[in-house]
Amino acid sequence: MGFGDLKSSSGLRVLNEFLADKSYIEGYVPSQADIAVYEALSGAPPADLFHALRWYNHIRSYEKQKASLPGVKKPLGKYGPVNIEDTTDSASKNAKEDDDDDIDLFGSDDEEESEDSKRIREERLAQYESKKSKKPALIAKSSILLDVKPWDDETDMAKLEECVRSIHMDGLVWGASKLVPVGYGIKKLQIQCVVEDDKVGTDVLEEKITAFEDFVQSMDVAAFNKI
Amino acid sequence: MAVEELTALEKCLGLKAGKYSRRAQGSSQVPVLQTNSGPSLAGLATIASHLVTQAKKEELLGVSLEEKAVVQQWLEYRTTRIDRLTSKEDVRTTLKVSHENRQDLNCYLEDKVYMAGNKITLADILTYYGLHPIIADLSIQEKENYMNVSRWFSHIQHSPGVRQHLPSVVFIKNRIYSNVH
Repeated sequence: MGFGDLKSSSGLRVLNEFLADKSYIEGYVPSQADIAVYEALSGAPPADLFHALRWYNHIRSYEKQKASLPGVKKPLGKYGPVNIEDTTDSASKNAKEDDDDDIDLFGSDDEEESEDSKRIREERLAQYESKKSKKPALIAKSSILLDVKPWDDETDMAKLEECVRSIHMDGLVWGASKLVPVGYGIKKLQIQCVVEDDKVGTDVLEEKITAFEDFVQSMDVAAFNKI
Repeated sequence: MAVEELTALEKCLGLKAGKYSRRAQGSSQVPVLQTNSGPSLAGLATIASHLVTQAKKEELLGVSLEEKAVVQQWLEYRTTRIDRLTSKEDVRTTLKVSHENRQDLNCYLEDKVYMAGNKITLADILTYYGLHPIIADLSIQEKENYMNVSRWFSHIQHSPGVRQHLPSVVFIKNRIYSNVH
């Protein structure tokens, strides 16, 4: 849901269409939903979008009571027609960067107050950032089952396994292994390992394993599961 | 009709039911309220205004001078126009989307949420009562044609206390006929 970019005329047109048969964004009384959308606008809609303008003027009359209106403010994407996405936020961020003197919707020309609110916002942002950095980032891991095939039945499988396990990489943990008979007395080594997706790729792993060319003929990934 | 309406208005305002009688005036009937003090009051708008004052809800008559005038204008419209609608044709011309004649209701409500100001007023309530039988009769397509009236009507009937005994008129949430705005 959403109105597209409420700062552009296309977004306003969506809002206008949406409000054609409604007096408020939600329900039959003014609520925080109206305030949320009202505050997202950069000013009064043009006169040809009379539905949006009517609503805008009406909500403006609640300016003084806007804090006491019922409901909880939600992101803009929670309002409006179902089939349209909200893009106001991304666009408004860009707009703010290159346009410092944004129109103040509620006409608070009190410089100190705006500075205060700026400071509070920055504090909150900093708080949020620190919170985010403390939280351990989710690490994507995968469990991989490798098939390592020797050259012939005379290859020393114990030695081969030792070689494979001697590969040490950051984010790579070797697991259980077993020897699986392939035929003609040849066995292949099936070995489990857990890798961190960001740090270890199967290509790198394959390169390292096939580097033991005295023992390893080829290597396959038998199974690859995200954890 | 008018008497039921005034009874509903009394309930809406939280007043006790008053004594009403009817008096024939020309082809229509005029409600008369017998008050305890002073002479009896006649006429819908007069009685309604009296009830509002009695309930100490003067804000329903408008706050600013301009609003007061607009409320009176629509009360008059109510008794002179809406109550005299008899045929379907009349209804159409009253509600019709005609941009040459800016006085019709649908155009008037285009840029308004309430008839006067930004609060509900007696004009909204009485026009709502007056239009109720007409709107209830409209087809879905007609309701959509008179979109501004429909939006306003649906809004007023959801205002707490206003609807009273009247059945709720259904408005379809999704517009079906996309050719009208």
